[in-house]
Amino acid sequence: MVLTAEEVSEMGRSRSAREIAEKVDVVTTGTFSPMCSSGVFINVGHSDPPIRMEKATLNGVPVFTGLAAVDLYIGATEAHPENPAYGGAHVIEELLEGKDVELIAHAKGTDCYPLKDIRTTINRENINDMIMFNPRNAYQNYPAAVNSSRQIKYTYMGSLLPRMGNANYSTSGELSPLLNDPQLRTIGVGTRIFLGGTTGYVSWFGTQFKTDTETNAHGVPVSNAAALAVIGDAKAMRPDFIKAAYFEKYGVSIFIGIGIPIPLLDEEMAARVMIRNDQITTRILDYGDPGKPELGRVTYAELQSGEITLNHKKIRTASLSSLHRARIIADLLKKELTEGRFLLAEPVEPFPHRKDLNPLIIR
Amino acid sequence: MVLTFPAEAIDEPITYTLIKEYDVMINILNADITHGREGNLLIEMSGEETNVREALVYLDNKQIQISPVIKTILFRESRCIHCGACASVCFSGALDMDTATRELKFSPERCIACELCIKACPLQLFELNFGVN
Repeated sequence: MVLTAEEVSEMGRSRSAREIAEKVDVVTTGTFSPMCSSGVFINVGHSDPPIRMEKATLNGVPVFTGLAAVDLYIGATEAHPENPAYGGAHVIEELLEGKDVELIAHAKGTDCYPLKDIRTTINRENINDMIMFNPRNAYQNYPAAVNSSRQIKYTYMGSLLPRMGNANYSTSGELSPLLNDPQLRTIGVGTRIFLGGTTGYVSWFGTQFKTDTETNAHGVPVSNAAALAVIGDAKAMRPDFIKAAYFEKYGVSIFIGIGIPIPLLDEEMAARVMIRNDQITTRILDYGDPGKPELGRVTYAELQSGEITLNHKKIRTASLSSLHRARIIADLLKKELTEGRFLLAEPVEPFPHRKDLNPLIIR
Repeated sequence: MVLTFPAEAIDEPITYTLIKEYDVMINILNADITHGREGNLLIEMSGEETNVREALVYLDNKQIQISPVIKTILFRESRCIHCGACASVCFSGALDMDTATRELKFSPERCIACELCIKACPLQLFELNFGVN
């Protein structure tokens, strides 16, 4: 039997981990959140005469060209130089929608690649490859954000109103992939996942992956910890599950839809996926103070209720992550698994058991 | 409000007079004025009550038609992904996240057009609309 992580959390109220381990085979998870560390490799094909692109833009957004002649990387957060609300994420979304995108490239010209300038349009059908590779996605938990200062703060956690006027958070709680397998027993290099509406893979641990985050009484990290690097065929992705975003006075980002199936190997694994929103804690950080000090802790049950209480003050909450669409992803994955259209893949390599983070020292 | 100028009033420095003589604050939001033709000016006007009242009499004497404007928020709902980023900045309760279905509900009748949602929506689905009442 396949259930979603929310269904199994509900079931856990009346059944034991042993019963669930016997009854349920796989639990599906989902998230649809802004994930800035994302992008797409494309190969636009060779022109006649050929060009070895050294500088290039797509709809005016600069793309990385330091890969051979016509391989480009569109970083999701790269912004249009004159329009900060438009960037790489929007170019990716338009390519997924099948729209034409203007390519302008420049090169110095070589004996084997004589062309120096090119201006043309590309789209999903006429480019050779479009491979999404995201170095850091699906963060395992993330702190909620408030602002104690007297001015509105525009951040990647959204608009934060002064004097703690609101609190924003960004995970799907008990439905979130890495919160259901906090020790990463079933998720590693090679795990097959739902990525942007098609099948993708975990390619590596995500950048800034760390294992030393404090865990709560239920064994889940209380802040950002593990993360995934993921890969998939962007030509097969659907714009419903990849959405460009712009955060006022912060910049461009991209919503990525990820779903991960978790096989219930044993009773211990069943106990993990049974975790409920009231058992998952996250930190509340103050973005109004440069050091982003921790002001307290909350559970996802409190955050999702629409209001939290901090220092006797009631604060409205909002999510940046779409739980509505995360549920659609978990349901889709459940359906595909049940019908045998999505197959589980055992990781070929586990993730590191110990890894900490280095700060950047300004020497 | 929208000020509609008759063709003969176009040459007069109306806004200048409003500010200099009546000491009101004018914020011009849109202007569409051509010589020899009727023109429209979309402004916000504020100041002391008596000054504002006298300014309105002045405009009336100049045969400038005054139409109050209703600011409304347009929401391209079909593209909404129901994240909810707008809900926590909406104090009038026009934007509300259903805690069970996690779907965003927009009740335009509760909207006070404070415009906070315009900047809060990561998909930029809200727009300000000026409609003449």
